[in-house]
Amino acid sequence: MPSVSNSHKTNEIAVSVRGLGLTYTTAIDRRPTLKARVKSLGRGGKQTRVIRALDEVNLDVEYGQVLGIIGSNGAGKSSLMRVIAGILPPTQGRVEVYGSVSTLLALGVGFNPSMSGRDNVYLGGLAAGMSRVEIDSHFEEIAEFSELGDAIDAPMRTYSSGMYARLAFSVAATVRPDILIVDEALSTGDAKFKEKSLNRIKELRSDDRALILVSHAMATLEDVCNDVAWLHKGKLVQRGEPKTVIDAYREFLQVGKSAAIDEDV
Amino acid sequence: MSTPTQVYEPFRAGLPPLRRYWKSLWSRRTFIAEYSRSELREQHFDSAFGQLWLVLNPLLLSAVYFLLIVIIRGSSDSTRYAHLTATLFLFYLVANSLTGGVKSITAGQRLILNTAFPRIMLPISAVVIAIFKFLPTLAVFLVIRTVLGLPFSWQMLWAIPVLLTTMLLALGLAVTISCINVYFRDIASFLPYMTRTLLYLSPILYEAADLKPKLKTLELFNPLFPILDSWSRALVHGQAPISSHLLIALGWAVGIFLVGTYFFLSREREFAVRL
Repeated sequence: MPSVSNSHKTNEIAVSVRGLGLTYTTAIDRRPTLKARVKSLGRGGKQTRVIRALDEVNLDVEYGQVLGIIGSNGAGKSSLMRVIAGILPPTQGRVEVYGSVSTLLALGVGFNPSMSGRDNVYLGGLAAGMSRVEIDSHFEEIAEFSELGDAIDAPMRTYSSGMYARLAFSVAATVRPDILIVDEALSTGDAKFKEKSLNRIKELRSDDRALILVSHAMATLEDVCNDVAWLHKGKLVQRGEPKTVIDAYREFLQVGKSAAIDEDV
Repeated sequence: MSTPTQVYEPFRAGLPPLRRYWKSLWSRRTFIAEYSRSELREQHFDSAFGQLWLVLNPLLLSAVYFLLIVIIRGSSDSTRYAHLTATLFLFYLVANSLTGGVKSITAGQRLILNTAFPRIMLPISAVVIAIFKFLPTLAVFLVIRTVLGLPFSWQMLWAIPVLLTTMLLALGLAVTISCINVYFRDIASFLPYMTRTLLYLSPILYEAADLKPKLKTLELFNPLFPILDSWSRALVHGQAPISSHLLIALGWAVGIFLVGTYFFLSREREFAVRL
């Protein structure tokens, strides 16, 4: 989304999700091929299966809110984020977005591994609808925050996964959208960078911005968020005070406050 | 309460709202330019040797095919060589659009899963890259033509509408095949055989007029046939193309473009879950 510069007030609605359902069909085969299709023609076997990723989800996010999303793997967290970002169209319900969304743009950076980090930042930004000038004005900050140094001009296939994540996070945190979505993949990196990115997220908390953080790092969420929603198998289980929801989730997992959950993995 | 900037609702089968789609595509035109530039730079086409290779590759190809013609037919002349190079270079514009376009969606997976944008930008970029690779070969052809001593004439300007038609056809084909490849990933492996077959079915190694009457029906099923014949007539022979050929070529190009784009646009919203 092109950044909209009109400011938003606290408690003004940022995202409204009403009765959201998302089902999709995926191929059973690892890779759908014509050969596999022709081979199974006579047998009349099923080619696809239907997955219900989200079911009757109602969720409002207001400006000034920092919403954490928790849930086990496959709960529909990323699907929900992609619907809000406009990447996946909903099957049922309605999603209204009031403002510009980061569109998870950061993770699109690096889609072409043979190009340099610099080219990928520009292409990711342009694809997300930013202008060259806008990216130009942010680029120095992105490069500096990512601490990649000269590696920014090296092909991204030469990056380690840590460097990759650092660049992605830097893009997400530098381009200041009204609604910022940070998926857990962004919070990787070494301890030093993790602390730096956590600080950046705290800086980004402001009255005229809505933050949505998807993470398994409960301690971080409890520290940063003022609201937490728990998704399970596509349904919204609980929403409210971070401590209450996180405690309920921990109980559900029956692992209590063990080190495995507190660890920021 | 203000009005929402974006509303996402379930979509019915068919096309997305075209005006909004076009606006969104137009606002991202710099992506297409930047993508082609980075891609060409990455393939070293910004360096002198890269440029040389760009020209050398089709030249060597035309030399090989010229050898083939001389051996099979026993003799050849300068017009035939000019015809071969002119049509081969234009053929490679279409072939490169297809090979670049086929994987454009599947290779853009990361971007598609994480960013909302008109997906058709990716096959369009592939065609733009193919056009940039084609332009230097066109210059080389004009040099060859001068060296061979073929006379220049105003009729050669007919090549411009022919080239525009070819670009539209290349775009339609790239859009179509990029979409098909999402559902059948092995199309990319079949593609070299398909382009090779198309090469032999098109008037490149022979001239359209030399075709045996028995094989004339080929003309009807190969969109490249009228295009390459018109191209050769205009650029090599300096004649106006047969008008029915021009119209048939335009019909093919518009038809494939419309069908392919419809197919693509009505499917693209589910690409994200198919990748």
